[in-house]
Amino acid sequence: MKKIKARGINIPHSTIMVENIIKNGRDDGLIITLTKGAEADLPVLAKKYGLNLEKEESEKEIVIRMSKKEIKELDVTGETCPGPIIIVGDQLNCMETGDRLKVKSNKAETIEDIAVSLPEMGAKVIEHGPADDKYFLVMEKVEKDVSNSALSADAVKRDKVLVVQSNGIGNAEKAYATFIFAKAALSMGKEVTVFLLMDGVSIAPKGNAATVKHPAFERMDKLMAEAVEGGAKIYVCELSAEFRGIKAENLADGCKLAGAATYVTLLSDPSYAVVNF
Amino acid sequence: MGYQSVVKELKELLDLKGNPVAVKLVESLDEIPAGYQKMDEKKRHCEFVQDARLKGFKGYATGEEHLCKGGAGVMGIEPLPEPVANGNMYYKLGNFQTPEGALETVQAIPKLEQKYTASLYSPLESAEFEPDVVVLLINPKQALRISQAYLNKKGGRIASDYSGIQSLCADAVAAVKERGIPNMTLGCNGSRKFAEVADEEVIIGIPPENLADIVEALKTFQEKWK
Repeated sequence: MKKIKARGINIPHSTIMVENIIKNGRDDGLIITLTKGAEADLPVLAKKYGLNLEKEESEKEIVIRMSKKEIKELDVTGETCPGPIIIVGDQLNCMETGDRLKVKSNKAETIEDIAVSLPEMGAKVIEHGPADDKYFLVMEKVEKDVSNSALSADAVKRDKVLVVQSNGIGNAEKAYATFIFAKAALSMGKEVTVFLLMDGVSIAPKGNAATVKHPAFERMDKLMAEAVEGGAKIYVCELSAEFRGIKAENLADGCKLAGAATYVTLLSDPSYAVVNF
Repeated sequence: MGYQSVVKELKELLDLKGNPVAVKLVESLDEIPAGYQKMDEKKRHCEFVQDARLKGFKGYATGEEHLCKGGAGVMGIEPLPEPVANGNMYYKLGNFQTPEGALETVQAIPKLEQKYTASLYSPLESAEFEPDVVVLLINPKQALRISQAYLNKKGGRIASDYSGIQSLCADAVAAVKERGIPNMTLGCNGSRKFAEVADEEVIIGIPPENLADIVEALKTFQEKWK
């Protein structure tokens, strides 16, 4: 939505200006920052043009959103982690800056988890709390502003995730966590690399991941394929593969042999957050 | 970019002095059409507008060519100098009785948050680019006709805002580009002095997409108000 700052303009001029902006093609919605009090007549204008009006006040100014769009609602009740964050991430990817989304769940911790993740996902919390028998969160998609991420010239934004997996199909929970975590990070807009080493390389040969199935989750090869489809890279430690007689031609789609140099390079890159399973 | 006939009619209908001026802000120098050179002299934005209007000059100005850093600042080409951003400069110049009044004013001046590399200028009729804003320097009667013409199709009123500082840059370009509606302004000390905006002239910035309707309305007025 078009964002306009027009501080210092009082009524009736603020109302006249906003009406002209709407008439001149912004009848699909706008976000306008005004000096407090200048918005007094805008509810009448919103009604005239059939727009929803929302206010957000700060100490000195007021932000008015006038939009034709209804806020989309998602109910993630019953979804287990990281389902809610993936659902929200997918929805945010389809939204434009300024669009809002309401998410509901019967678990307060699910809403809290989403709220904590929003800055990294390019959104901000507008409102949250209990409502009826559930908890809710209203979020707004915002521009990812580097200046807001407290970066100094010496700091590096950690926008990549390296998942190191060294247990393999022998430990189903950790094997599942590798790809569930990778998918959650992808949905948050992170670049994801999975590095399989030691017993972790047992996941890589064609057919092996398909032997892992927990009743509550999809078969693991499907999760792995979804992560690859979502953009995750999967490296397989050359030495560990060699040690176990695993050949490049036997690797599942999306898996690629990589040497120690690749692993060390990834570990040395400060833009990666590293997690071990 | 297809404005020749509109400009020809506009000039005849209003008996304009000089050219309507096409102004565009570019993020990258790659957006500058072939044949447009960097301004060979450091000047103010308002002077570049006047040069395009009265001398037919075309060209572009990066931050280096902009002498008025306040003007370049509100158009997103350079950071606003601190004394301009906090109002001290205008307080010291005597525009305001108090630093608070100066600060209140400069905080309300329209400024573009988007960063740009250069401003591009040309007489509208020969512009090889789609302008963000068309700037007209006209007398009050011509401004009256433009205002009437703007309201002719959809009615309503016009609210223009200005503060007597940063006029051709903030009021006539930044505000119009951001809001997408016309804005009239009365100039500032810099534009009256350095760009020699005449005493009898006012300035209007217009979104280019409104020009055709304005010209049609002016033709109707000419017919009906003989």
